[in-house]
Amino acid sequence: MHERRFRFGVMVTNVGSGKEMSELARRAEGLGYSTLFVPDHFVDHQLAPTVALAHAAAVTDTLRIGPLVLGNDYKHPVVLAREVGSLDLLSDGRLELGIGAGWMTVDYEKAGMTLDRPGVRIARLAESITILKGLLADGPFTFHGEHYRVTDLDGQPKPVQRPHPPFLIGGGGPKILALAAKEAQIVGINANLRSGEPTSPDAAHSLVPAATDEKLATLRAAAGDHFDDLEIQTLVGFVHETDDAAGIVEGMAGAFGVTPDDARMAPVTLVGTQGEMVELLEARRARWQMSYHVVGSEVLDTFAPIVAQLAGT
Amino acid sequence: MPGPFRFGVQVSQGESMSDWRDKARKIEDLGYSTLFMPDHFGQELAPMPAIAMAAASTTTLRIGSLVFDNDYKHPAILAKEAATIDVLSDGRVELGIGAGWMKSDYDALGLPYDSPAVRVDRFEEALAIIKGCFTGEPFTYHGEHYRVTDYASFPKPVGLLPILIGGGGKRVLSIAGREADIVGINPNLRAGEINAEAARDSLRERTDQKVQWIREAAGARWDDLEIQMRFFVCKITDDRNSLAEAIAPMFGVGPDEALESGSALVGTVDEVIDQLQQRRDRWGLSYVVVGDENVDEFAPVVAKLAGS
Repeated sequence: MHERRFRFGVMVTNVGSGKEMSELARRAEGLGYSTLFVPDHFVDHQLAPTVALAHAAAVTDTLRIGPLVLGNDYKHPVVLAREVGSLDLLSDGRLELGIGAGWMTVDYEKAGMTLDRPGVRIARLAESITILKGLLADGPFTFHGEHYRVTDLDGQPKPVQRPHPPFLIGGGGPKILALAAKEAQIVGINANLRSGEPTSPDAAHSLVPAATDEKLATLRAAAGDHFDDLEIQTLVGFVHETDDAAGIVEGMAGAFGVTPDDARMAPVTLVGTQGEMVELLEARRARWQMSYHVVGSEVLDTFAPIVAQLAGT
Repeated sequence: MPGPFRFGVQVSQGESMSDWRDKARKIEDLGYSTLFMPDHFGQELAPMPAIAMAAASTTTLRIGSLVFDNDYKHPAILAKEAATIDVLSDGRVELGIGAGWMKSDYDALGLPYDSPAVRVDRFEEALAIIKGCFTGEPFTYHGEHYRVTDYASFPKPVGLLPILIGGGGKRVLSIAGREADIVGINPNLRAGEINAEAARDSLRERTDQKVQWIREAAGARWDDLEIQMRFFVCKITDDRNSLAEAIAPMFGVGPDEALESGSALVGTVDEVIDQLQQRRDRWGLSYVVVGDENVDEFAPVVAKLAGS
C-alpha cells in the first residue's frame, strides 16, 4: 500500500487577542505545520471556530485551516454551507471541513438542544453532508430528508476547492467510521465518545492499539477499494518529550487502566525523545496508515523539530 | 442631542482573499467607520467569516452585521461568534440583529416562516440570551423558544459590544428603543419581500412616526441611542431631479417627496450634506449606511462630515 506523506496540524483552543492568534498562525505556517485547527464546543473557554479560522486564514498565505470538528447539530446545514463556501473562497481554497455528529453532553444541556441518541445524530449528519455537498456543487439543489428539507437552492458562494473542500470526518464507533469511509477524504481516528465525556474509561480503552486495529479494519471494510484514497488523521492530545519514556508511560498506564505498551502506542500519546517520537510516528503510519497528526498549540515549538524532520516524507 | 456623524458601507460579495482584503482596507482608508454584511441566502457571502476576515485585515475599521436574522442560528452560537470576533479585533464588532423577514431565505432553509408576532417573541428571548452571554457570567434563561442552563459564554467581549436592532414596525422599534445601543430604522418588511409598500414605508411622515415610537420606548435612553439608516437609493449627482422622477413611481408620490424619504440620499455633495444635517435635526440620524457601489462617490461626504 502506498504510504501517504506525513503532515501535521496544530490545534488552537484559546487565544486572548487577535495579535496572539495572528502570531500563532504565522508561526505555525513558518514552522511547517500544514493546518491550524480549532475545536467546536460551548465549554472550556474555546473560541467560536469558523470566525477564529477566518482570522487565521486572513493573516497567512499557505496555512490550511479547519474545524476539529464542527458539531453538526449546532447549525443548519444551509447556514453551514454558506460559511464553508465563504471560508474556502476568502482563504483561496485552504479549508478542510471537519464535521462530526456531536457528542459532548454538556454542550447540548447548556444550550438547551436535544441530545438525540447516537444513531439519530449520525443519520442527521449523513443528511447534512449530502446537503453540504449538494450546495457546494454547481447548480440548484433539492433534498427532502427526514431531518432537513432544502428546495431548489443554488448555494452561494461556491468554494475554490472543487467539487468541495476535503471533508474530515472523525469518530470512534463503527457507524461513524462507515459514514467517514463513504463521504470523507480525511478520516479522524478518535476515541469512542458514546459516553458523552472525553475522559471516561470507555473512551480510554477505545484508544489502545488492539481497539485501533479494529477501527482501521472497520474503516477498511467500509471503504473497500477506496481505502487507499483516505488520509488517516489523529489528534495527539498528549505530547511529552522526555529521556524517561518508560517512567511516564507507566504512570499513564496506571491512570487509565491499560498496559504500558498500550499506553505508549496509543495514537493519542507521543512520549519519549525526539528520536523515539519519530519512530513511534513511523510505526503508527506503517500499522494504521496514520500520516496526519495534530498536536496542541502548547507544544507548537517543542514539537517543531519533528515536523521539520517528517513533514512531506 | 445626536452624536457626530459616522458612515458605514454594506458589502455582500468578495471574489478572493486579496479582493476582500483590499475592499476592507479601502473602506477603512476612506474614513468610513464600519463594514456591514447582510445575512441572506442569495449571492451573499456568509457574514460571520467574512467580517472576521475583514477585521483581521484592518486595524481600526469596525465590522458588523446589517443585520443577522435571529432564526438562522441559535443565539448562544451567534453571541459566541460575535464575541470571538470582538476579542480578535480588539473590540471592533457591532452586532446587528433582527427578527428575520425575507421569506425566500426561510424557504431555502426549509424553516417555518412563523407569524411576525412569533418571530418577534423569539427575537426578544434571543436578545436576553445574547446579553446574558456577553456578561461572561453563568446564567440561566428558560423561555418559550430557548432554554439555556447555567451557561457562561466565552469569550467575553472586550468592552461594551454595541447591539444594533433594526426594524420598521412599532413592536420591533420599541424593543430597539428599550434594548439597543444603535437603532436601525428600516422600511416595514412584513410582506417578506421588498415591494412598493416597503418603499412607501420609508417616506418622511412614516419615518417621523418610527422615530416617535423609538423615543417613547426609549424614554431617558433616547439621548444615548445612535440612530442609523441604510440608504438604498444613493447617488451623487448634479441632476437630482431626473433621478427623483425616475424613482417617484416606486414610492407612489411626487419627485420631491421621494427624495425626502428615509431610503434616498441624492444630490451634489453639498446637497447631500445639507440633507443629512436636516435629517439629523429631524430624526436624530447620525449613522449613515450606503452600499458597496457607493463607496467612492460618497467618500467626499464622509471626508466632510465624519466626526462632526
